[in-house]
Amino acid sequence: MNDGSAAVERIRGAFALAITDIGSVHGVPMLRLLKQDVPAVARYIHTDPHVRGSLSLLWAVDHRPREARYELCYLFTLADRKDWLLLSVDLTGGEREFASITPVVHAAKWYEREIRDLFGLIPVGHPDMRRLVRHEHWPKGSHPLKKEFDWDQVLGRVQGEYAFRKIHGDGVFEIPVGPIHAGIIEPGHFRFSVAGEPILQLEVRHFWKHRGVEKLFEQQRLTEAVPLAERVSGDTSVGHGLAYCQAVETLLGVTVPPRARYLRSLFLELERLHNHIGDVGAICNDTAYVVAHAHCGRLKEQLMQLNDRLTGSRFLRGVNTVGGVSMDLSGVQLSQVDAELQAIEREFAGIEKILFANASLTERLENTGVLSEHIAWDHAVMGVVGRASGIDRDLRRDRPFAAYHECPPKMAVYRYGDVRARMRVRLDEVHDSIRLIRALHRQLPMGLLITQSVEVPTPGQWAISAVEGWRGEIIYVVMAGAEGRIHRCKVRDPSFVHWPAIQWAALGNIVPDFPLINKSFNLSYAGNDL
Amino acid sequence: MFRIMKKSLATGVVTGQYPAAKSPTEPVSREAIEKAKPFRRSLTIREVDTGSCNACEMEMNALANPVYDVERFGVHIAASPRHTDALVVTGPVTVNMERALKDVYKQTPDPRLVIALGDCAINCGVFKGSYAVTGPVERHIPVDVRIPGCPPRPAEILAVLDRLRGAHTETDE
Ligand code: SF4
Repeated sequence: MNDGSAAVERIRGAFALAITDIGSVHGVPMLRLLKQDVPAVARYIHTDPHVRGSLSLLWAVDHRPREARYELCYLFTLADRKDWLLLSVDLTGGEREFASITPVVHAAKWYEREIRDLFGLIPVGHPDMRRLVRHEHWPKGSHPLKKEFDWDQVLGRVQGEYAFRKIHGDGVFEIPVGPIHAGIIEPGHFRFSVAGEPILQLEVRHFWKHRGVEKLFEQQRLTEAVPLAERVSGDTSVGHGLAYCQAVETLLGVTVPPRARYLRSLFLELERLHNHIGDVGAICNDTAYVVAHAHCGRLKEQLMQLNDRLTGSRFLRGVNTVGGVSMDLSGVQLSQVDAELQAIEREFAGIEKILFANASLTERLENTGVLSEHIAWDHAVMGVVGRASGIDRDLRRDRPFAAYHECPPKMAVYRYGDVRARMRVRLDEVHDSIRLIRALHRQLPMGLLITQSVEVPTPGQWAISAVEGWRGEIIYVVMAGAEGRIHRCKVRDPSFVHWPAIQWAALGNIVPDFPLINKSFNLSYAGNDL
Repeated sequence: MFRIMKKSLATGVVTGQYPAAKSPTEPVSREAIEKAKPFRRSLTIREVDTGSCNACEMEMNALANPVYDVERFGVHIAASPRHTDALVVTGPVTVNMERALKDVYKQTPDPRLVIALGDCAINCGVFKGSYAVTGPVERHIPVDVRIPGCPPRPAEILAVLDRLRGAHTETDE
């Protein structure tokens, strides 16, 4: 009985007075709540054994100038059938404070700090009120997502210093790393507190790459922002592009033609493939197992060249467009894909055998960087990292999009939560992606590639869309503004959820293992910082 | 052990198996080639990401894979700016990275080259105008070489590095 409506009934039973209205947004039930009751309801949803919701997204909207209010929305994924449930609360009349749910739902921690920085709304009761996105040199009162903040203004610079959490004790010292790292890696700062070798605490200090992506979306038209979405996190160009397109299609009431849906799945799997193979190699590289790295690097390159031949972009950019896909694959091209993937699968299987015959490799991976199922659940972890920690979630199965209804994935779920499990998930998914691409090819229907639409959504209408990218769940919330423009676009890369979790996975490990743990998560800095 | 050797033998040499780059749209200036002269056959590079979408990074990383094997041209990736001949900068310069970029530049010993890699580094790309971006790179530090593209393909990056090393000196431009 655990579907969305049953959960709504239970919550209504328990909190009749807290709920002011029950509605739905494109089929997702939404409860409007009184401000002061949000923490209690959130706690209930998170902990009640019949509901067990995990917080998938928390975002704010500034409705001005149309309406003088801010709105906070909470999206929960219910544990058993993976239904969605929305909560919403309004801040009106110049109110700037809202009740923090972080003390009862850990997963809200970064979201609430983000909202404080970007909207100037204050999560009362939040245990950590330091800045997140806005580094200390940003002037006071600069909150970019408030409507009166000009998107292209020049920010001033003030003095200020971030206060890292300190651990005191005999022999405890700190190791600062970053923002610029030794390899070719994106910028981010890691602060380790250690005593001897083991890590006592890791604090991740990010948002060096904050480019103002969400504000940039607000300067664009609904139908024209796909290139920006593809540049949120370049390694996930298809995933982000697709998630954005789907949200806009829901807004416009567009049904994507079947052939386009299949091609979308196919491109998404091609993206998963080259990233997973690259990651397997990178994990091996961090254990100094260079042979495997070289082989994986070669296969990854082969796939990127294939992408380039198929679409003119090694990152498959430009394939998704609002309403469908912008390019077709011919029968000849598809047979090339088949032939190439067959060769790659054979080679990859060979490499796998070599990997697991090597004790010095597997020794490094086992029991390293363990993320327990409990902590993963508390932090709403999903995707590859989640599936390696026993979190059985995959949007391709749970909320099928593109052509996954017709071609569902096989799940790869492991329990140990260590580096090895995260590598295992990737190995399994490489094989499954190849299988899926074959199945998609076999069943590929003929027909149109794009559905045109002349519809202009009413300002204030909005839609959510979610895509299982190669890292995990990518979520977009798009709200229409006047004349086909974007009023608000909330972007959520899975990295935003997983960075706080990696702080837990690192505990107790030795510092030299951290690069390995980090690789096994392989999170995006660009997608996190926006 | 035998498995590994067998695999290597079966694979053979893959280096160089990539489509040739189209000739660079932006020529490498005489000054830059002149400036690169002292480094000749060995150019040590430090990559600095000042807010890219990370696709440019991925292509830089690809340079090290066996197919491009950039080391065969004497190009090394250094772990510290103090060991560096050329800084490769990707991404528009964000408000939060501006300081770090200037610091890195200061720590790079003279003579030094700065290569702006990708459209973002050259003109901020899709992020142009944003409150959070103060770039492009040349607003903050002098740029010697530009490699346009979003992202430029590894073969295109190689072609520019090739010219920089003087491999095609004088004849083209
Ligand atoms: S130039 Fe293109 S690929 Fe490179 S960082 Fe900018 S958006 Fe990304």
